[in-house]
Amino acid sequence: MSAAAAKLARQDGMTIAGAKREPTQAETEASRLGLRLTLPAQILVLFIALFPLLMQLYISLTDWSPLSGVGWWRAGELWNSFANYTDLVSDKRFWGAIWRTAIVMAVCVPAEFLLGLALATLFADNFPGKRVFYSILLMPMMVVPAVAGYMFFMLFQSGGPVNDILSVFVGGPVTIAWLSDPTLALAAVMIADIWQWTPLMFLILLAGLVGVPEDQMKAATLLGANSWQRFTTIVLPKMKTIIIIALAIRVIENFKIFDTLYIMTGGGPGVATETISVYIYKVTTQDLIWGYVAAIALAILIVLSIAAVFAMKRMAAAREA
Amino acid sequence: MKRSLPFEIFRYAAIFLALAVALVPILWMLSMAFKPIPEWSATGEALTWWPQNPTLDNFRFVFGESTSNLIVALDRTALKPILSSLLSAIFGTAIAMSAGTAAAYGLSRFGSGQNLPLALIQLRLFPPMAVMIPVMIMWAFLGLIDTWWGLALIYGIVTLPFAFWLMKTFFDDMPREIEEAALVEGCSRLRVFTRITLPMMRAPLASAALFVFILNWSDYLIALLLTTREWVTIPVYMASLSSSMTGQLYGAKAALGLIAAVPPVIMGIAIQRHLVRGLTFGALKQ
Repeated sequence: MSAAAAKLARQDGMTIAGAKREPTQAETEASRLGLRLTLPAQILVLFIALFPLLMQLYISLTDWSPLSGVGWWRAGELWNSFANYTDLVSDKRFWGAIWRTAIVMAVCVPAEFLLGLALATLFADNFPGKRVFYSILLMPMMVVPAVAGYMFFMLFQSGGPVNDILSVFVGGPVTIAWLSDPTLALAAVMIADIWQWTPLMFLILLAGLVGVPEDQMKAATLLGANSWQRFTTIVLPKMKTIIIIALAIRVIENFKIFDTLYIMTGGGPGVATETISVYIYKVTTQDLIWGYVAAIALAILIVLSIAAVFAMKRMAAAREA
Repeated sequence: MKRSLPFEIFRYAAIFLALAVALVPILWMLSMAFKPIPEWSATGEALTWWPQNPTLDNFRFVFGESTSNLIVALDRTALKPILSSLLSAIFGTAIAMSAGTAAAYGLSRFGSGQNLPLALIQLRLFPPMAVMIPVMIMWAFLGLIDTWWGLALIYGIVTLPFAFWLMKTFFDDMPREIEEAALVEGCSRLRVFTRITLPMMRAPLASAALFVFILNWSDYLIALLLTTREWVTIPVYMASLSSSMTGQLYGAKAALGLIAAVPPVIMGIAIQRHLVRGLTFGALKQ
């Protein structure tokens, strides 16, 4: 029963007193139970959202750090107004990290999307072995990301298997030190990300592809449309929402990229693979300037909240469709 | 739809290439885990794709048994990190599932907590890194740093959105006739929920719990920040498997990585049917 309906029932009970007494009581019981059932989740959300955000806002306006010798509640003594935020604007390392995060996203997400879509197209109809191949192709996304990081760290060693495979094509020994070259290290972490998350695109896009009505495809074929025309005029428009959801999920998750990357390179060599999460992690644990970190984090949260509202609208549209 | 022979050839060729790319890194780790030290150390022999002398030494080593050809000794074994990973993931899943299922039912049936869907999606959108400062301060204040129960609490909150959304779509899909019949029979609504709905939803509940468990088990960043020594989880512990004497202990890392990777892969395949629903917050069903 929706809230609106419950309200309506209560109003009815008031206008026709006596006759509607019974449903009114039932409605009260229901809404009270509903409240009780949602309470734990509400408390957890408040616990992790409201209080930490206020604390973060407070600390972000100060020079407080765990080494300042006073508890965080007395951070006000180290008030620096908006200095953290103005510092942020001119922090080259921060903008460098944002830039690298953007590059990783601009390469990985489209690559994962196109590879996932291509694979999904191959799996659209039935063929022998489909189920087994499908299960195997999903395996990379289930590997613990940190373990994938250790895995790719081994693969990209100069005496490792990646170079071994390359040497077969080159015809001589290849000893590229992938993870100690700035450009190649960035390429390596992107390859690891694409390896791990193409299956997710494949999974979601295939679910969308299967939902494309077959009779429309048949009709288009009868009208003389070739497979590319069918794909662009029927399949893609039908899958629009699903594609947006898949891209949104990967953009959001890719923005957080940390585990695999941090284990493979630690953000290095130098700052060559330092994305925004790695940057915040290092400033938090090495520089310990927590007032500044709080300012960075809040700035990111505000930008992401705007994205959240946008994504939410899309998802609601998809559910209605 | 009928396909031509060239297409079928192309399809199998492309799929086999994709399978190879997906499997080679995993198989490499598998092979490393069973190699004796000379086959994986930097100074050792040339690289081989398959262990020449397969051994369980790497597994024995991470569990603290002294092995013939490993010169270093571990100051602590992998046993406690495995226990930490298990406890925090299991109890984190329990927290997320109980709060999430109850709230999902409350919203789905009684329209309570209209704010939760958006609030929980937002919770999921934020990089954990961006809220970790206050969380670290709070956890320190509550004495939860470096404990598995502290990890379990944060895991329960972080994966609550998935538990909630999955269970909400399951409840939304469930026909209500049986519940209504029980209400007419005179059952209280709470009794209907606990005695009729939940038992009927056993399979979806199990799938959602496995899904949430995989997410908790896969965490690295949170454990890295909130545990220091006593209760580090497997991925955090793995970093300590290197020494100045031998460099990276690839074999040991591969062995432990294998132990960490196997449960989620098996569980993931078991709940394949619900993966799309879980990953898209119920926006898509398979």
